[in-house]
Amino acid sequence: MNRTIINIIRFVVLVLFQVLIVNHIRLGGYVHPYIYLLFVMLLPINMPKWQLLLCGFGVGLAVDLFTGTPGLHAGATTLMAFCRPSILKLVSGNQKFENIQEPDLGQLGGVWFIRYSVCMVLVHHFTLFILESFSFKLMGQVLLRILLSAPVTIFLIMMILYLFSSNKKKE
Amino acid sequence: MLNLIRFIQKNHFVILFILLEVICILLLSRSQNFHKQAVMNTTNNVVGRIYEWGSDVGNYFRLKKTNEQLAEENALLRQQLSVVTDTTQNTYLINERDTIYEYIPAQVVNNSINQAKNYIIINKGKLDGIKPDMSVISPDGIVGVVSNVSSHYATIISLLHSNSIIGVRFKTSQELGTLKWTTNNYRYGMVEDIPTHLVLNEGDTVLTGPYSFIFPEDLMVGTVEETYETASGDLNRAKIRFSTNFATLRHVYVIKNLYTTELDSLRAKF
Repeated sequence: MNRTIINIIRFVVLVLFQVLIVNHIRLGGYVHPYIYLLFVMLLPINMPKWQLLLCGFGVGLAVDLFTGTPGLHAGATTLMAFCRPSILKLVSGNQKFENIQEPDLGQLGGVWFIRYSVCMVLVHHFTLFILESFSFKLMGQVLLRILLSAPVTIFLIMMILYLFSSNKKKE
Repeated sequence: MLNLIRFIQKNHFVILFILLEVICILLLSRSQNFHKQAVMNTTNNVVGRIYEWGSDVGNYFRLKKTNEQLAEENALLRQQLSVVTDTTQNTYLINERDTIYEYIPAQVVNNSINQAKNYIIINKGKLDGIKPDMSVISPDGIVGVVSNVSSHYATIISLLHSNSIIGVRFKTSQELGTLKWTTNNYRYGMVEDIPTHLVLNEGDTVLTGPYSFIFPEDLMVGTVEETYETASGDLNRAKIRFSTNFATLRHVYVIKNLYTTELDSLRAKF
């Protein structure tokens, strides 16, 4: 199937999954996993950078419309998309992506993916929770939220990846 | 000019990034302002419909509990009705307050409790007579204030919103306070500006205050959980437990004040 169509489907499914199911997970009021980041993480590696930014902005805005916080998620995902090329470089070091179209668990391995998602998720959560409180006054609480939410987000993202990449191998 | 174009071409990634972030910050700072959520307004219908699908599925799993709650409320209303009908025939209306307010039942289609600014979406809108600034209550206590309406849905600013401020009163002493949500926990709110001489006990009832243009007087808000004294001898604070359980909110009532226009026109004069 066409890459673009796959990405559009991924966009819709992840946003709906986020707002209809994951947003209702309530663990003590501090844990807010955001699995829709997976959309930005899995975008094609050689995608033009400006498209990457627009995709990040778009998925953030879509989630914003549902949560009633225009600009909040969009701001965080745009920054995350902005950082993605550098994070890819940082995480993979000398590794080249010659034959790889988009980040793929089978080809790049679990350890690579965990490092990749830790960087991406931290950038996103940091921006999101600071923008949300809109001040540095509640810094302690913000840090607590980040430290509690990021592991859950990373865990969920890895779970989803393992679920779906095993399907791909069978095909 | 050519240089400028070349500059933009060269740095289009950074420029687009800054542009998008500026848009985000603008949107965000605009939404800090209570009633100007233009973006929300236009998409409310689509978003509301999708949420309704989601909550339709969830509702099946809660049918038993919902039934029990409604039955309980029925029983309570029946009890109140018997009080009314028992008194002499010509005093059907216990007091004037009942005649000013009309209650519109609605269902919650989406609700959040773990953000810093929580909103609730209900399945009644402009066509059902809902307007911004109407108050919303649940059978257990107050819930929030309507902020935006589309034709079939309405957004409510939950009590669990960092900008929410509500005038409250302690039932036993009649002293006033201001309820804010600074705890970031969906079970508790914080009443501030409490006079220092006031002695509060755990479990004291907190009701809505008398001076609100939005909430009717004496609605249940919650009970006192913990009190804090300020060292400087300024006004005290008290943590209260909301009587409404925001995590399981399903059925709510929107309260319509039949004299809103009159009140507003009067208020516009000062």
